[in-house]
Amino acid sequence: MKRRAFLTRAGGAALAAPLLLRPAGSAAAAPQPRGREAAYYEKLPDQKVVCRLCPHQCQVADLERGTCGVRENRGGTYYTLVYGQPCAVHVDPVEKKPLFHYYPGSQAYSLATAGCNFTCRFCQNWEISQRRPEQVRWIDMPPADVVRRARAGGCRLVAHTYGEPVIFFEYMRDCAALGREQGVPNVMISNGFIEKAPMRELCRHLGAVKIDLKAFTETFYAEQCGGRLKPVLDTLLTVRAEGTWLEVVVLLIPGLNDGREEIERMCRWLVRELGRDVPLHFSRFVPTFMMKNIPPTPPATLHGARRIAMDAGVRFCYVGNLLSDAEHTFCPACGKVLLRRLMYSVENAGLKDGRCRFCGEEIPGVFS
Amino acid sequence: MSLSRRRFAGILLGSGAALAAAGLPRGSAGGEGEASLVVQAVSPLLRRAGDDIPATAAREFLDRAMLALTGKGGRGQAWGSLFSPSETVGVKLSCLPGPRLSSSRALTAAIVEGLLAAGLPRRNIIVWERSSRELENAGYRISRSGLRTMGTDELPGGGYDGPVTESGSVGTIFSRIMDEVDALVSVPVLKDHDLAGVSISLKNMYGAIFNPNKFHANRCDPFVADLCRHPQVRGKLRLSVCDASRVQAHNGPAYFPRYAAEYGGLLVSRDPVALDFCGWAIVDGLRRGMGLPSLAASGREPSYIRTAGGMGLGQADGRRIRRLEL
Repeated sequence: MKRRAFLTRAGGAALAAPLLLRPAGSAAAAPQPRGREAAYYEKLPDQKVVCRLCPHQCQVADLERGTCGVRENRGGTYYTLVYGQPCAVHVDPVEKKPLFHYYPGSQAYSLATAGCNFTCRFCQNWEISQRRPEQVRWIDMPPADVVRRARAGGCRLVAHTYGEPVIFFEYMRDCAALGREQGVPNVMISNGFIEKAPMRELCRHLGAVKIDLKAFTETFYAEQCGGRLKPVLDTLLTVRAEGTWLEVVVLLIPGLNDGREEIERMCRWLVRELGRDVPLHFSRFVPTFMMKNIPPTPPATLHGARRIAMDAGVRFCYVGNLLSDAEHTFCPACGKVLLRRLMYSVENAGLKDGRCRFCGEEIPGVFS
Repeated sequence: MSLSRRRFAGILLGSGAALAAAGLPRGSAGGEGEASLVVQAVSPLLRRAGDDIPATAAREFLDRAMLALTGKGGRGQAWGSLFSPSETVGVKLSCLPGPRLSSSRALTAAIVEGLLAAGLPRRNIIVWERSSRELENAGYRISRSGLRTMGTDELPGGGYDGPVTESGSVGTIFSRIMDEVDALVSVPVLKDHDLAGVSISLKNMYGAIFNPNKFHANRCDPFVADLCRHPQVRGKLRLSVCDASRVQAHNGPAYFPRYAAEYGGLLVSRDPVALDFCGWAIVDGLRRGMGLPSLAASGREPSYIRTAGGMGLGQADGRRIRRLEL
């Protein structure tokens, strides 16, 4: 594909983003979110509950909400307030998630509700993730509508993304189960901060999972995200063990998580525990939300991290949010370009039936 | 019920001995600075009849408390010493638990009367909460003009379209109502809080931000204090009027009759930290009477109060709090 064609396709993808629902203009324009009984919680005495969905394990008194802000105790019954109520709906290339080895070049019907169980100071989608359901304008879209709209829009898959899908677990699970029945696989783009049992349940329905590994220190998770590293690593192991397609993204932030020793430890762990074939993406940080005082990640840092990963044995490592050859998929055996990318466009340069057409090397992923 | 100035002075003089035996928690964080005054009334007249305090009692006791707090001779002078007619004043209620445990409507009406007596035009008063739904559930009627009674969610953009701002551990967006007001009256209900220990005046400010659910770890410490040292709060929170007519001594913040005490109390102070400190003592006292362990013994000591004292937001040292019982 020529450069001009590349750019045309990339521009088309950007223009295709049709709908980002803004915060409500008035109470009348923002109907109160409905409630639907949540999964994964236990009732406690005195009408309290403890949430078992994510490792926060919030104990929630009557009328209160968990850290996520979207699950509420009403008289001793725990409710999700966002079931079937997305506040953001787009059609995106799957490369934007990013998922590079899962139906490359396809469109993903992408949605999110309000809320998140983290408080990342660098969140790109904080206007969704850090708000409560009543602070956004949402639309009524039950799972059947999600799958129907995805098919009608020519989308190969549905992506639960932008905010944090863990906190709309029930909605995602039901969309994924229905999508699987109807040939529209669902993918989860997540921080991975979820308990093992709900993650395993999701894996029965999801086609792929992308986990943001925020850093490789507990300090970073505590200070920058309001979370913990260990449960995220456990989730990576769970997804891998369940056999669901998995990719990992690391956003490198200058001075906070981009040290050579930390990246080396991370890559060694990934290779040892997940194997060499899980694609790893290093993404470029850009200042936002509560982290506007740190400059964007230098390209050299990203390419250096990629080199560390490849040296550690990672076979597919990419650099994101930055135009470079490190977006392409190379055959790990012969080194030829198999999938050539520019922004969110992709050209098949040498992949055939999941193998390198030059040397026959099998390329892990879901390609057709 | 009315109170002559002479009788009022007598009450003030006689109240000191009773206060010494109040059994307040020992604080140490706020050891610097001047003593803070907390005026407290406890009377059967202040108990709720149904879901509200009798209007006459609310007005009378609030008037007495304000005179005692300010040293002024009349309602208009007392309120006028804290608020000027040119200012816009927000009256921040606490209405999460519904009608049985939300800020008393009668007490709120008395606060509004005080502000009007100080010369504020009606349009300069905003009685508010997070959402209009919460206000309505608590029995308030929404009014969007004149003397406004409304939730933040009535405003364009959902009411939280301002800049992201930080204060220590807290990163948030304030309600646009906080931008509009020059001064605040915090009107909490005295109650136990399952995670924070207690929720009184300081924690009432969680209702002024868009993401309060993010700040309940570690018994809300230091989050409550960090929020209240933000200039939007610290520079505006001028008076706290705590409705202790019915106190939830355990299992809050929702209303649970089993642990609710018909206390008949009212606490008023310019120092929210000192008021919270005194409120904490009342909750612990009521818990004792119910055979419950103290908040500290329950692992729910509201340490954010001491943290706030340590930040200089007020007095969290019981020895430096002047408690005046009416």
